[in-house]
Amino acid sequence: MLSMALRTFRRDWNAGEVKVLLFALTIAVMAMVAIGSITDRVHRAMGEQSSEFLGADYTFESPRPIDNALVERGLNDGLEITRSQSFATVLSRGDNFQLVSVRALGGKFPLKGTIEIAEKPFAQGVVQQAQPKAGTIWLEPRILGVLDVEVGDTIDFGAIQLTVDGVIVAAPGQASEVFNVAPKVLINLDDVQKANIIQEGSRLEHILFIAGDPAKREPYIQWLKSEKNPSQKITGGKEGTPALKAALERAETFLRLASLISVVLAGVAIAVAAGRYSQRHFDYSAIYRCLGMQIRQVHKLYLWQLFMIGLLGSGIGLALGLGLQSLIINQFSDFLPKPMVGISLAPVLTGALSGLVVLLGFALPSFLQIAKVPPLRVLRKELLPRAMSSWMIYLLAIGVMALLMWWQSQSLLLVGILLAVAVVTYLLIRLIAWFIFKIGVWLGKRGSLPVRFGVGQLKQYPAFTISQISAFGLAFIIMLSTVLLRSELLSEWQSQLPEGAPNHFLINVQEQEVEPLENLLKESNVSTEGIYPMVRGRVVGLNDMTLEEALDENQQRVGAVRRELNLTWMANVPKANKVTQGEWWSEADVADDRAELSVGEELAERLGLEIGEVLKFSIGGLEVEGEITNLRSIQWDSFQPNFFIIFEPGGLDGFPASYITSFHLPVEDKPVLNQILRQMPTVTIIELDAIMEQVQSILDQVTMAVEFIMLFVLLAGIAVLYAVLQVSREERLLSATLLKALGARKKFIRASILAELVLLGVFSGVLGVIGGEVLVNILYSEAFDIDLVLHPWYWLWVPLISVSFIGIVGWLGLRHLLNQPAHQVLREY
Amino acid sequence: MLRTHELTKTVNSQGHDLTILSDVSLTVNEQDTVAIVGVSGSGKSTLLSLLAGLDLPSGGEVHLADEPLHQLGEDQRAAVRAQHVGFVFQSFHLLPGLSALENVMLPIELKEQDRAKERATELLAKVGLEDRLQHYPNQLSGGEQQRVAIARAFASEPKILFADEPTGNLDTKNGDKVSDLLFDLNKQLGTTLVLVTHDDRLAERCQRIVRLEGGKVVADNASEALQDQAPQEQVSQDQAAEQ
Repeated sequence: MLSMALRTFRRDWNAGEVKVLLFALTIAVMAMVAIGSITDRVHRAMGEQSSEFLGADYTFESPRPIDNALVERGLNDGLEITRSQSFATVLSRGDNFQLVSVRALGGKFPLKGTIEIAEKPFAQGVVQQAQPKAGTIWLEPRILGVLDVEVGDTIDFGAIQLTVDGVIVAAPGQASEVFNVAPKVLINLDDVQKANIIQEGSRLEHILFIAGDPAKREPYIQWLKSEKNPSQKITGGKEGTPALKAALERAETFLRLASLISVVLAGVAIAVAAGRYSQRHFDYSAIYRCLGMQIRQVHKLYLWQLFMIGLLGSGIGLALGLGLQSLIINQFSDFLPKPMVGISLAPVLTGALSGLVVLLGFALPSFLQIAKVPPLRVLRKELLPRAMSSWMIYLLAIGVMALLMWWQSQSLLLVGILLAVAVVTYLLIRLIAWFIFKIGVWLGKRGSLPVRFGVGQLKQYPAFTISQISAFGLAFIIMLSTVLLRSELLSEWQSQLPEGAPNHFLINVQEQEVEPLENLLKESNVSTEGIYPMVRGRVVGLNDMTLEEALDENQQRVGAVRRELNLTWMANVPKANKVTQGEWWSEADVADDRAELSVGEELAERLGLEIGEVLKFSIGGLEVEGEITNLRSIQWDSFQPNFFIIFEPGGLDGFPASYITSFHLPVEDKPVLNQILRQMPTVTIIELDAIMEQVQSILDQVTMAVEFIMLFVLLAGIAVLYAVLQVSREERLLSATLLKALGARKKFIRASILAELVLLGVFSGVLGVIGGEVLVNILYSEAFDIDLVLHPWYWLWVPLISVSFIGIVGWLGLRHLLNQPAHQVLREY
Repeated sequence: MLRTHELTKTVNSQGHDLTILSDVSLTVNEQDTVAIVGVSGSGKSTLLSLLAGLDLPSGGEVHLADEPLHQLGEDQRAAVRAQHVGFVFQSFHLLPGLSALENVMLPIELKEQDRAKERATELLAKVGLEDRLQHYPNQLSGGEQQRVAIARAFASEPKILFADEPTGNLDTKNGDKVSDLLFDLNKQLGTTLVLVTHDDRLAERCQRIVRLEGGKVVADNASEALQDQAPQEQVSQDQAAEQ
C-alpha cells in the first residue's frame, strides 16, 4: 500500500493541487512557528516572574529621599534591601556626549535574577550579583561607541571621573526601561554624592530593592503601603504588572491574531485545494473500487497522501519559520530584553503540530470523501459522494484550532476572546469584500466585452472570489495602516519641530547657575525664551476636600492628579499661552496670604475646575494652597517648557526649585553643550534631535516587524489565489480554447484575463483602503486624539499596488491559457 | 465555400510519426449539408479542426471562404472564424460565467456587429428559450444548453457551421429536437453545414456523407446527392411522421 501511495503522490505532484496544499500548509506552519517562537522567547526573556524582571520581589520608588527608618525596619525583619537612585544625566569624554539613565547602587544588585558584566562589548559576560566599586562605572555597549571609550578608560561624571570597569550584557531593569531610549549605566551610590551631580530639586527617583521570604516580606510590604505617601510607589507582587509588560502582552495578542488569520486563510486555500484534489480522484477511486479495492483500503491510500503532504509541508514550514524568527530576533536585539533566551520546544512543536491539525481540519473531510465514491461512477459519471456541508468543515477546523490554542495558552477565556475577535474580524472583512464584489460586478457588467468576461469569471465562484479579496485586502489593510501610522507619527513630530524650534532642553539647572547660564548662552548667541523655575509637587486637595471626595472616578484617573507635577511661578503670561478666563495677576498684588494660580484650560475642564476654587499641593511633604484666578490655553507643541499650573511670584517661596530652559542649537554649535557641562556639571541636557533619530529607528524596526506579518497574510492570499486557479483550471482552459474557436484573437483572451485580475486587484485594493482608513482613524482617535483624517492619495496607490501585485502573480498562473491550441476544444472535457 | 487539396496531418508521438489524415481532397459548396462519419480514431475530429482552421495541416491546402487557412497565423485564422464560422460541440461548451443571453451575444460582439442583444434574444426565442435568457449554463438542462449553443452558432450569421457530434450527449428525444432545430435554422438562414457524427440517422439528414477510415476518405456520395436532393426531404418527412 505504501508503494502505491508513493506512486500516487509522485503522479499527483505534477497536477497542481498537491503543490497548493503544500504551499498553504508551509505558510501556516511558518507563521505559527515564527510568531509562536518570537512571542515565546520575548515573553520568557522578560522573565516568567516579575521579580527577576524588577531585580527584586518589590521595589519602592520615591521622588524624595527615603526615610532611613523604613529601611531599618525591613532589615530588622530579616529582608534584603538595596538602596538605589535613578536619574538621567549626560556622560562626556572629550567632545562626545551621551544622555544616559543612571542607576546608583548602594548594595548588592540584583536581589532577584542576575546581572551579566563583560570586559568587552558584545562579549560573553560573567553572571553575578554585585555592585560597581566606588570610582567605577558599568555601561551598556552602545555608550562605548558614542563616547569612544574602552574598558579601563575614564569618563567625566559631574565633578569626578569614573573608570569604565565593565560592559553590561544583561541587567534587570524597570519596566519602562526596556524601550527607554537612554542607555543605562550602573555606578556606586557613594559616587553620586562625590560627583555633586544631584542638587535640591533635581529629578531623581530613590528606589529600594526589596527581597526576602514571603512570610517576612508581605507584612513589611503591607506596612510600607500604609506608611507611603501618594507620590511613592510600590511595584511587584501580582498587582504590579509593569506597563511595558502589559503593552507587550497586547502586542503578543496582536501577533497571535495575525498568525491566526494567516492560518485561517491558509486553511481556506487548503480546503479549496483539497476539495479539488478529491474531485479529481473520484474517477480513480471508482476504478479502484471496481477493481476490488475495499473502502478501507482506498481510505488508507489517500490518508497516506495527506500524511506525506503534512510531513513535507510541516518540515519546510518549520525550517522557514525557525529561520525567520531568528532573523527577526537578531534584527530587534537592541530593543529586546537581555539576555535573549534560546528557542524552546513548545512553540515549535505547537507550530508544526498545528500545521498538521490545520491540514486535517480543512483537508480531511474532502479526502475522506474520495473513498465514498460509488463504484457505479465508472458507468455514470454524474454520481458523486454525498458532500459534507462547508459550514461543518469550517466548524470542525475552528474547533480543532481552538483546542490547539487552548493547549498552548491554558486559558479558555483567552482562546475564546482571540477566536471571537478573529472570527468577527474575518467575517467583517468578508462582508465588506462581499459588498465591494457586488458593486464591482454591477459596474463591470457595463464594461467592454473582455471586462464583462472577466466579471463572469469572478462571478463563477463568488465564495472563492470573496476569499481572495478578503485575503489580499487584509494584507493591504495591514500595509496601509503601518505606512500611515508611521508617517503620521513622524510628520506629527516633525511638524512640531518647525525651523528654529527649540531642540535642546536643559533641566536640573540650580538657582545659583541661572545667571552664569544666561551669560553663557548670551555669549554664544543662543537665544532662549527664558529660564523657568520648577518645583515638583502633587495636587492633593480641592476646596478643603481630598481628591477622592472632590473628584469623580474618571477625574481621579486624570494623569495630572496621579503623579507629581512640575509647578512654576511667573510674573508674566508665558509666550505660547493665552489667558482665556479670568485675569493674570498684576505685579502690584503679589503675595497676599493665599497664592494666585493659573491653570491650563484643558486640565481645568477635565477636572471641572473653576475660577475661585482652591487647590492644595503637597511639595516635599509640606502643603501649600492656591486660588485659581485665571485659565490659560497652552500651545503644547511650541516646544517651550509648558506648565499645567503656574503660581504667582512668591507663591512657591521656600520650596527647593530647579530651573529649566529650552533653545535651538544647530548641529555645528553643539560644542556649546561642552561649555555648559564643564561649567555646570549637574545640568542635564536633553538632545531632542538625537532622541528623534532613535525614535525613528525604533519605529522603522516596528514597521518592519508588522510588515513581516503582512508577508504571511500576503503569502496566504497567494495560496488562496492559486488554489482557486487550480479549481477553475479546466474551465479556464475550455473558455480560452472556446473563445479562440469562436474567433477571438489572443489579444482578446489576454484582455479578459487581465480584466479579471485587474478587477480582483481593484476589489482587494478598495478593501485595503476602506479597512486601512477605518483602522487608522480608530487608532488615531484612540491613541493620538486626532480627528478623522482621510488619505486620498493612498486611495489611488493602494489599488494600484494591489492591481500590479495580483496582476503579476495571477498572470504567472494564467498566461499558459494564451497558448492553448484551439483544436483542443474538440477534446472531451 | 470550403475546399481542401491533399490535406495531410501527421503528429509525432514518442519518436514516431503518426499519420492521422492523408490526402483528403474535398469541395463543399455554399448551402451544402455534409456529414463526416467514421469509427473512433478515423480522423473525423482532426479533419474538422483543420477545416475550421483550429489546427494547421502538415501538408496540403485548405481554403475557407476563399481564405487559405493553411497559410494564416493563429490570430488571422481566428479572424476568419469570427467572420464566417459557427460551431456546435458535443459537450455544448457554453461559457459557465456567462448567462444564456451573453453566450449567444458573444460571437456577435466578437464580430463587432450591433444590436447584439436584440438579435441574441430573437435567436433564443427561435430555439424556444425566450424565458431562459438570464439563466446560467448550470441552471439549464443538457437539451436546453445545446439549444443555446445552436442559437450561439447561428448568432453571427456564419456562412458555414461546423457541428461536432451535436446530439452525442443527449437522449433520443432531446437529440431529435436539437437536430431539427439545427437543420431548420440551417435551411432558413442558408448556411453551409459540416457535421461530424457517429449517428447514422443524423448523417442521413445531410445531402452528402463523407466516410473516413484510417485517415482516408473511403466513401463520398457527393455525386448522388448533387443529382437528387429528394432523400434528404424524405428523411425529414419520415421524422416528422415519427413525432
